Amino acid sequence: MSAPLLEIEDLTVQYRTNQGMLTAVSGASFTIERGEFFGLAGESGSGKSTLAKAIIGGLDDNGEVTSGTLRYRGEEIQDLAETELNERLRWKEISWIPQSSMNSLDPLQRVSEQAAEIGRTHTDLSDEAIREKLKEMFDVVGLQQSRIDDYPHQFSGGMQQRAIIALALFLEPSLVIADEPTTALDVIMQDQIFKYLDRTKTSTDTSLLLITHDISVIFESCDSVAIMHASQVTERGSAQAVHDNPRHPYAFMFKEAFPDIREPKRELEVIDGYPPELMGDVDICSFADRCPWAVDECRQSAPSLDPVGDDDATHAAACVRADEAYELYEAEGTDPDGTGRTIAPEEDD
Amino acid sequence: MSNDPPLLEIRNLEKYFEESSNVLDVLMRREPSQIQAVDDVSLTLEENDSAAVIGESGCGKTTLLLTLIGLHDATGGDIYYKGQPVSEFDKSDWREYRSNVQVIFQDPFNSLDPKMTVAESLKEPLKIHGIGDRDRRVREVLEHVELSPPEKYLGRKPANLSGGEKQRVSIGRALVLEPDVILADEPVSMLDVSTQAAVLNTMKNLIDEFGVSMLYISHDLSTVSYISEVVNVMYLGRVVESAPTEQILADPKHPYTEALVSAIPVPDPHYNRERTEMSGAPRDPVDLGEGCRFRDRCPAVIPPDDLEIPQAAYREVIAFRERLARDDLTLDRVRAELDDSTDTDALAAALREEYFDHDLMGENDAVLDTALSALAAGDGDRAGDLLRGRFESVCEQTPADVTTDDEWTVACHYYDDDTQIEEKRVPTTD
Ligand SMILES: Nc1ncnc2c1ncn2[C@@H]1O[C@H](COP(=O)(O)OP(=O)(O)O)[C@@H](O)[C@H]1O
Ligand code: SF4
Ligand code: SF4
Ligand SMILES: [Mg+2]
Repeated sequence: MSAPLLEIEDLTVQYRTNQGMLTAVSGASFTIERGEFFGLAGESGSGKSTLAKAIIGGLDDNGEVTSGTLRYRGEEIQDLAETELNERLRWKEISWIPQSSMNSLDPLQRVSEQAAEIGRTHTDLSDEAIREKLKEMFDVVGLQQSRIDDYPHQFSGGMQQRAIIALALFLEPSLVIADEPTTALDVIMQDQIFKYLDRTKTSTDTSLLLITHDISVIFESCDSVAIMHASQVTERGSAQAVHDNPRHPYAFMFKEAFPDIREPKRELEVIDGYPPELMGDVDICSFADRCPWAVDECRQSAPSLDPVGDDDATHAAACVRADEAYELYEAEGTDPDGTGRTIAPEEDD
Repeated sequence: MSNDPPLLEIRNLEKYFEESSNVLDVLMRREPSQIQAVDDVSLTLEENDSAAVIGESGCGKTTLLLTLIGLHDATGGDIYYKGQPVSEFDKSDWREYRSNVQVIFQDPFNSLDPKMTVAESLKEPLKIHGIGDRDRRVREVLEHVELSPPEKYLGRKPANLSGGEKQRVSIGRALVLEPDVILADEPVSMLDVSTQAAVLNTMKNLIDEFGVSMLYISHDLSTVSYISEVVNVMYLGRVVESAPTEQILADPKHPYTEALVSAIPVPDPHYNRERTEMSGAPRDPVDLGEGCRFRDRCPAVIPPDDLEIPQAAYREVIAFRERLARDDLTLDRVRAELDDSTDTDALAAALREEYFDHDLMGENDAVLDTALSALAAGDGDRAGDLLRGRFESVCEQTPADVTTDDEWTVACHYYDDDTQIEEKRVPTTD
């Protein structure tokens, strides 16, 4: 059996700051197979972008993988040198659509020139073939094909975002890491792009690591999901398992916080407080201060990501009360003392 | 219903901007282009009422808002506050209006002065309007927006507030003058979902418990039902559909609304939503001219009665004609890629390649061929005439609003001679 496309094992990433080592990712583990769409969800600041940057070797200067391994097609890549990452992995194998990618185009080069440079470095394609591929992608992202020769400033912000997406996809990479790729785009455009991604999944076994705060997109478009809270993976597994049988309080409260237009009057969950900033090793459940079911044990060590349920082999949760929390939630909600955490729209009258 | 005029009424409001003309425009005596940001929009907000305006980026939502607060002058139509037209306001009318009509902006991270404490931020509008008893009012407002106890927040600066808390302070700032109307521009779109629900809740309470009226402006249809009973859907400057929120989500009538609603992700792995049939992107709202503004992307655009043509192919012809009419074809670019830039046959073929994915048959194909050849030979006008002759759509005339008894309004030719909107659905295509 061949190795999975990407394996992340017990990964910890820290940033050096004036206050000390800030832990942005702590002991994260998950695997992405070929042709798998994997969604990474969580509030802002939970460490999603840091994890993505760690995979592609693009951490900020003060950031560092301090423990754990990253394997791409079985090979450890966390210590690869910049040049090697660039030559062997970036663009053709793994492409990255950075968050707020608006400014990641080179302002001095036409988009087609930027594509040509990437294509020449990473493939044997002729310049003509590169142009053709880029044109096809422009069509997908709703840009006129012949505008591939425009300079970035000739595009509006939303168009630049789409041009970046076209650049990230035109070489048909094996793994696309997309960090909030469509948050700046409208839902119809988002759907157009996902329609294309769906096609590449079937036709070329493309894998996707989709980073987003929007769990709706993940539940409907991804095969698997991991939900992060303040550096920790709280729960992961197949989208169906996590949706149908959630175990970690953050995971199910987060899920219940999302509106669903099929039920416009459903009460939305509110998660009080906000995630802590964590200095040094994380040796608690990072959700403890916000969790309605927290007990002393939650602050004694970081709960390990253990298998839960019998629905799916990859389904795991990092909660000491994973066995009972969801039943408690269903039985009495998050609000046994009646302080009102949920919102209900008015009933019809 | 009483006979009082509505609290806020927008009647046929229009805001055009002139695109700054360049030297060439001047030399060639071209009319400067018109950016039709808001075009013939009408809305009514009664006392203790809420309405939503929904649309994609660039559809004119923010221009509408800025016109409503007097930061832009309307170029047509008018705004009436308690029956009085804003265009006739004098200084003191404006003063009253500005204290009664308040705004909450999208970005809680930039809308507060980083140097001011919460107390200072909230007192400032009171000072400006010369209102006393500030300490008490500020405390009350903080309680209303659920920042309590107030002592905990009064001395804090924005840097020490979470996103949700900042947005609550912004809401408080809007509320402190006890306005009748709050205009909320994407008030929760920058908040994490964990706090989004709580802020929506606070805003809903303002309507229910404090009698404020609210205009909720957003690109996100999925949160509307938590604020407003009525939605107005905008596309390129115009309201294309307006109806009760729940009904429109369950059964959109206008083809654009239908595309919008059906593209909203559903948070359920068991639900098989079809991906959108749409392609392309909304055009810029420049020199839009007559006709339905959605016609270059509309999956249901209506061909002439006697024309046999598959819907998808027809849509491409319409989109192409639109670009031709707006001089938005990339003719020079396509020509530059030819081996021989004087080869008009090759240019016609390349144009077809660039703009048409679907094949046409018989006479349709022949007309397109002749038109592309004319265009390649430099005669765009003839190309346009040929295509119009064969392919002109009723959608090139601006559709009138059709309204049912149950306050459902649609502007689309599908409903032209049919006031029973209920019974007619836009056919699915392809
Ligand atoms: N260059 C940096 N230096 C210090 N801290 C950083 C840096 N980049 C990110 N962080 C911090 O790391 C944590 C995780 O951030 P990030 O990975 O951007 O999360 P997300 O993508 O989930 O919003 C946050 O506390 C953030 O402030
Ligand atoms: S019960 Fe404890 S371990 Fe589980 S989520 Fe709550 S705080 Fe964390
Ligand atoms: S008027 Fe025509 S183009 Fe416009 S939405 Fe209706 S069917 Fe589509
Ligand atoms: Mg991020």
